[in-house]
Amino acid sequence: MTGLVLAQAATGAADTVTTGEAVAFWILGPLALAGGLGMLFARNAVHSALWLAMSMLSLGVLYMVQQAPFLGFVQIIVYTGAVMMLFLFVLMLVGRDSSDSVVEVLRGQRLAASVFGLGFGVLVVAAVARSLTQVTPAGLNQVNTTGGGNVSNIGRSLFTDYLFPFELTSALLITAALGAMVLAFTGHDRKRRTQRETVVARFRGEHARPSPLPGPGVFATANSVATPALLQDGSVAPESLSEIIEATAAEQLAEDLAEVSGRVAGPDPRALRGPAGTATAPPGASATAGASAAEGES
Amino acid sequence: MTVLEAAHTSLGGFLAQVTPIQAPEIDYAAILPMLIVLGAACVGVLFEAFLPRYQRWSWQVALTLLTLVGAGLALVVYLRDNPQQGVVTLAGVLSVDRPALFLWGTLLVLAFGAVLLIADRSVEPGGAFVSHAAVRPGTIQDRAQAARLGMQTEVFPLTLFALGGMMVFCASNNLLTMFIALEVLSLPLYLMCGLARRRRLLSQEAAVKYFLLGAFASAFFLYGVALLYGYANSVRLRDIAEAAAGTNRSDTLLYAGLGLLVVGLLFKASVGPFHAWTPDVYQGAPTPVTAFMAACTKVAAFGGILRVLTGAFQATSWEWRGVLWGVAIVSMIIGAVLGLTQTDIKRMIAYSSVAHAGFLLVGSIALTGEGLSGTLFYLLAYGFTTVAAFGVVSLVRTADGEATHLSQWAGLAKRSPLVAGVFTFLLLALAGIPLTSGFIGKFVVFSAALKDGMAPLVVVALLASAVAAFFYLRVVVLMYFSEPSPEGPTVSVPGSFTMVAITLGTVITFVLGVWPAFVLDWAGAGGFAFSTT
Repeated sequence: MTGLVLAQAATGAADTVTTGEAVAFWILGPLALAGGLGMLFARNAVHSALWLAMSMLSLGVLYMVQQAPFLGFVQIIVYTGAVMMLFLFVLMLVGRDSSDSVVEVLRGQRLAASVFGLGFGVLVVAAVARSLTQVTPAGLNQVNTTGGGNVSNIGRSLFTDYLFPFELTSALLITAALGAMVLAFTGHDRKRRTQRETVVARFRGEHARPSPLPGPGVFATANSVATPALLQDGSVAPESLSEIIEATAAEQLAEDLAEVSGRVAGPDPRALRGPAGTATAPPGASATAGASAAEGES
Repeated sequence: MTVLEAAHTSLGGFLAQVTPIQAPEIDYAAILPMLIVLGAACVGVLFEAFLPRYQRWSWQVALTLLTLVGAGLALVVYLRDNPQQGVVTLAGVLSVDRPALFLWGTLLVLAFGAVLLIADRSVEPGGAFVSHAAVRPGTIQDRAQAARLGMQTEVFPLTLFALGGMMVFCASNNLLTMFIALEVLSLPLYLMCGLARRRRLLSQEAAVKYFLLGAFASAFFLYGVALLYGYANSVRLRDIAEAAAGTNRSDTLLYAGLGLLVVGLLFKASVGPFHAWTPDVYQGAPTPVTAFMAACTKVAAFGGILRVLTGAFQATSWEWRGVLWGVAIVSMIIGAVLGLTQTDIKRMIAYSSVAHAGFLLVGSIALTGEGLSGTLFYLLAYGFTTVAAFGVVSLVRTADGEATHLSQWAGLAKRSPLVAGVFTFLLLALAGIPLTSGFIGKFVVFSAALKDGMAPLVVVALLASAVAAFFYLRVVVLMYFSEPSPEGPTVSVPGSFTMVAITLGTVITFVLGVWPAFVLDWAGAGGFAFSTT
C-alpha cells in the first residue's frame, strides 16, 4: 500500500493532496497519535517504548508519503531501528519491572501539571492550526527534481551551508561517549590480593574467623544449595545456612531428626521403612537426610 | 578485472554527472580561539586514553591551562587588526564581531579562573572530584575510594568542550548552530555536576535534575526553532528578521516560535520563573563546577539572548518587550525575596544569581548600543565576582567537607580576618556598592534602560537590589558580629591554584570598580554583524 501511495505521490500533480495521500494520512495520523498516547499511559516501560516505536513508524511512512522518502527511511532505520531498539535493550538490562512511584511529593502537583500541560497543548495546537490554514505549501517537488534529487541536495547542504553544525555534532558524540565511560566504567587498577595475602590477613584477624565458612551439604545428601552442612554430631552447622535462601531443607531435616530421635509423639515407622517409589513414600531427599543424620549419631 | 573497470567507468560516469560542491570559505584567523579550545578538548580525551592514571592530572592541567592561554593569545593577535564590522564566516553560520570577541575573551578569562579551582588539590585532598564516578555511593567500594586521592581527570576535557560550546553559542548566527552549541555546552555540565567527592547522592541528584530539566528546555528551544523555520523558511537570524519586517503572513508562528525559543534561552540563563533548577544544582554540584557554571554559562546564555533578540526580533520588539519586562521583574523579585530565606550559602548565591539574571535581562531588552555594552560589562564583572566567591566558599570547611550552612559562618572574621574581608568585599560587589565592579555594572545597565524609556523597570530593579543587598549584608554581619561556635569550621589555607583564582577575581572586581573605562570602551566597540556578505 505504501508503494502505491508513493507511486501516486511521485506521479501525481505537483504539490496537491491526492486521494491516496489523504487516505494514508487518515490511517497513519490516528495511529501515530494512539502511539503517543499509549506511550504516555502504558504502565510498563517496555510497552511504552513499543508504543513509541509504532508512533515513529507511522511518522516515517507519513514522511515518505509527503515526498520525503529519504527522511522517512532515516526515521525508520535510525530512530525506530537503532535508537528505539537500543532503548529497549537498556530497559531489559536495567530491569523492566521498576515501576514509578505514585507518591506525590508536592501537593496538587499532578493536578497543576495536567492543567498547565493541557492549556499549553491547546495554545500550541490552536496557534499552529490558525497559522497554517491559509498557507500555500512550499512542497518538495522542486528539491526532489533538481540538483540530483533529494539525497544529493541534503548532502550538498550538509557540506556547504551546515558544514560547521555538522562538524560540531562530533563534539557532542565525544562528550556522550566520555560521559558513558565516566559513569559506567570502574577500571581495573585495584590490586587483587593473592591467596597468600588473604590467608595472612585472615590470621591477623581481618575476617571474623580464620577459616572459610562451611559450604552447604550439597551432594552429601541432596543437590540443593539450600541443604545445610552437618557437624560431627549430626546437628546443622548454622553458618552453612544462607540468609537469603529459604532453608526449607533445613526445616525438613530438623523435623526428621526429631522423628528419628523419638522426640515426636507417635512416630510413623513407615516414614523410614516404606518401599521407595510408592505413593505414600516420603520424598527421597528427606529420607536420605534422615538416614545420614542417623548415621552421624551412631 | 573487467568488473573493476566497469565499476570504474560507471563511477566515473556518475561523478561526471554530479557538479562539484563549493566548500564554504573559512576565516581561520577569526575562529582560531574556538578551534584551539575544541581541538585541545579532543587531545585531552586522547590523554585519558593513553596516559597512565597517575600522570593524567598533571598533563591535563598543563594542557588545559596552556589551551586557555593559547586561545587568549590567538584572540589578542586577531584583535589587533580585525575589521570593525566583524566577519561572518563558514557559510554565514558563525559571526565573529565585536560583541562575540568580547564574550570570547570574557569566557576564556573566566574559564581560566574556574579551571584553577577545578584543578586545586590542596583544599580538599585529592581535589573536589570523585576518583571513580561509577562506584555506587554508600557501598563498601565507595568507602574504600574515599581514602584514595585520585580524581576523575575527564573533567578537564569536559570543561574544554563546554567552553567550546559556549564560544560557538554566543557567536552563532543561525538557530540550528545555536541549538547544537547549546547541547555541546550543556552535556558536559550535566555530567560534571554529578562528580562531587563529598555528598555524592546530593551531587548525583543535582546532575539528574539539571539533565532532565535541561533536556526539557532544549525541547522547547527546538520546537521554537521549528515554528520559526515554518514562519521564515530559514533558520538564519537575518532571514527571520527580514521575514518579520516585510510580510503580511500570519504572525502567530513568529510569536509562538519566539516564545518557545526564549524559554529555552532563559532557562540556561537561570532567569525568573525558569530558575527552578538553579538552587539545587548550585548546591549539589562540586563547588568549582558551580563557579564555572555560574560565571560562564550565564555569559554564553546572555550572549545568545542578546544576539537573537537584536538579530532576529528587533523589528518586532514592540510586541514582545512587555512579556520580557514581566519576566525580568519576576526574576528580580524571586531572586531577592527567596534569597532572604536561604540558610545555605551556595543556595543563597544561587538565588542571587537569579536576581542578577533579572538585572541582566533589563539591559538585554534595551536593544541599544548602550544596553549591549552595559550587559557585556555586567557579565564580565559578575563572572569574576562569582568565581572568586565560590573559591572562598570552598575554603571554609569542617571534617565533613564544605561548611555551607550559614550558621557555621558565624564569627568567621575572628578565625580568619583575611578570608572574611575578601568575602565581604565580594558580597558588597554582588550587592552593587560603589568602588566595586558590581556598582559600575548596575549603573551602566540601568542608565541604558532609563535612556530607552524603561523607567518603571529600573525602579523595580533598584528596589530589588536594595532587598538583595540586605541578605548580602546579613552574611557580613554574621561573619563580623557573632561569636564563633567552638566546633565551627576551619578555614583552609589555599594552595596556589585557588589562591590565584580568588586573587584574580577579587582584583578584577576592584579594578573594574575604580577604572572601568578601558573595559567599557572595549565592550562598546561595535555591534553585532549578521549579514552574510
